[in-house]
Amino acid sequence: MADLQERKLKDAHMRATINQKLVETGERERLKELLRARLIECGWRDQLKAYCKEIVQQKGLEHITVDDLVSEITPRGRSLVPDEIKKELLQRIRTFLAQQSNV
Amino acid sequence: MSLNGCQHLQNYKATTGTETFKIIYSYFITCSTADARRKKAQICKCVKCDVVRPRLHACLSCIYFGCYDLKHIHEHSLEKKHQLAIDVSYGSVYCFMCEDYVYDLELEELSKTQCQKTPMSLGLKQRFFPWEPTEEELILLRCNPKRRRVTEASHIGLRGLINLGNTCFMNCILQSLTHTPILRDYFMADKHACLKNDESEQCLVCEMARLYQEFYSGSRTPFIPYKLLHLVWTNARHLAGYEQQDAHEFLIAALDVLHRHCKEMNGVSGSNPHHCNCIIDRIFTGGLQSDVTCKRCNNVSTTIDPIWDISLDLGPGPIHSSQVLSSIAAAAVNNTSTSQTTASTEFTHSPAPGFTNSPGNYEPTSLVECLKRFTKTEHLGNSAKIICSKCHSYQESTKQLTMKKLPIVACFHLKRFEHSTGYHKKISTFVSFPEELDMTPFMSSSRNNINGHSGPNLHSASCDNKYSLFAVVNHYGTIESGHYTCYIRSLKEQWYRCEDHLIKRATAGEVLNSEGYLLFYHKQVLEYE
Repeated sequence: MADLQERKLKDAHMRATINQKLVETGERERLKELLRARLIECGWRDQLKAYCKEIVQQKGLEHITVDDLVSEITPRGRSLVPDEIKKELLQRIRTFLAQQSNV
Repeated sequence: MSLNGCQHLQNYKATTGTETFKIIYSYFITCSTADARRKKAQICKCVKCDVVRPRLHACLSCIYFGCYDLKHIHEHSLEKKHQLAIDVSYGSVYCFMCEDYVYDLELEELSKTQCQKTPMSLGLKQRFFPWEPTEEELILLRCNPKRRRVTEASHIGLRGLINLGNTCFMNCILQSLTHTPILRDYFMADKHACLKNDESEQCLVCEMARLYQEFYSGSRTPFIPYKLLHLVWTNARHLAGYEQQDAHEFLIAALDVLHRHCKEMNGVSGSNPHHCNCIIDRIFTGGLQSDVTCKRCNNVSTTIDPIWDISLDLGPGPIHSSQVLSSIAAAAVNNTSTSQTTASTEFTHSPAPGFTNSPGNYEPTSLVECLKRFTKTEHLGNSAKIICSKCHSYQESTKQLTMKKLPIVACFHLKRFEHSTGYHKKISTFVSFPEELDMTPFMSSSRNNINGHSGPNLHSASCDNKYSLFAVVNHYGTIESGHYTCYIRSLKEQWYRCEDHLIKRATAGEVLNSEGYLLFYHKQVLEYE
């Protein structure tokens, strides 16, 4: 039990360090731009936009908040991201971490 | 939803101003300096749970970060009576009183300018913004409520062209150009701003723009391109007259005239004379790298030439290669001063057509084979010795051509007309070509000094170098007389066969089994500028 606790703490610490590195170096922005471009290219953005429009039209513009929309589209948004893009991003993060000797 | 925010945001702006918003924005939302990034990495996490989660918000009244999903920022707002917070990932302002995001024109403008700073500071390209109609466009849209939609069955953009007397060579090129997706987008978006106001009749680019209007007007009668023909005649004298002409020659001449007329529009004074930014160059110009390696000291002399098309030999080849070689040798001698010569002076002219390379003694039967031969290392024999710039000796060498930069539209010219060795004949061999083409193996980055090709490339997972076929020009008959037709792809997967004024539906199989003369491929993925 103590072991598990310790590991969780270590993981959280690691995650924070990695995130800090990504932000500091600007790599996070680069990844974000790459992801943005890829999602546009594969049509993800258009698909989701169409879905949003559908929901807004259904509920009426006056009766909907961003929160409603976010909770409605999040599951579909996640499932629609192509595996290839996830793989590419993961590969980029791996490469970045390999270059950072002091993590 | 309005762009005037809410009353809470207006009160906030009246008492605090926009300075805080700007500071938070430039430090935590769109960092444009290393200092800002360091600060963001240090303090940008939820005060309550000390974890970086998506949808982190920053209070607009004090320095406080809190999770949105876990309502930590809501708790802060309730406790401190701070009404507004900003989403750290997207920069939208949330009002706790209205319980929704609010939009304010002034803040939107501020964030737009901030957003452009991040990619700049990281050396990235400008971010893509989706189109938003301007005031003027909104009025136009309101005044013209009729919307036309493109459906599977619509014939929009298809129109036959009358043959004006052996002008099928022109018609098939015009059909191919009008159905080049990216060129169509340029003309349909009315991007050509002609400076020849009083003599726009003389501008071929304007004439092309009119041709697009005609094609998309919905009219079903064949169009008579007499003005266009006349303009080509006056600008490319060698094509004038009612004789049969080579479609490839016409293509190159048309691109050249279009390019020249675009250039006049841009003003020759334009910043860099070596780099033309006209639509023709942006779409059709690729960079061909030629590496000449000295056999003695292995010194590589590299030149890069702009090209508009790739001419591929179909015949057995090396018989006539001596003349090609001597011209290359002459060029190489001129370039001996530096080993890294990039085409500098040549850029002022139009890219030269018809680069060829044909080592090997076989007849290729597919486009990919042709390209393999085109990019294969060639031994320049005894008759083509050059002086090496490094070891200064008169040596034999090897040469290899590869693609340094891929054009958006790649034109392949299969050299079916053999003029070289005294006899003239047409090569009617069937050469297969794919609907989807990957150019990765023919890139300079895939170049392998030892044996030319390193087989299927390892990093070709991305589709950056992939192309789709969208037009094929066919020639029927002999070298003396014949007829040109073409296949063009309209909409997504539908092919049509164009023969002057006749247009018929066609299948992809029909296209791929035809005897191709000119093959037009379009890049599948475009890079952002």
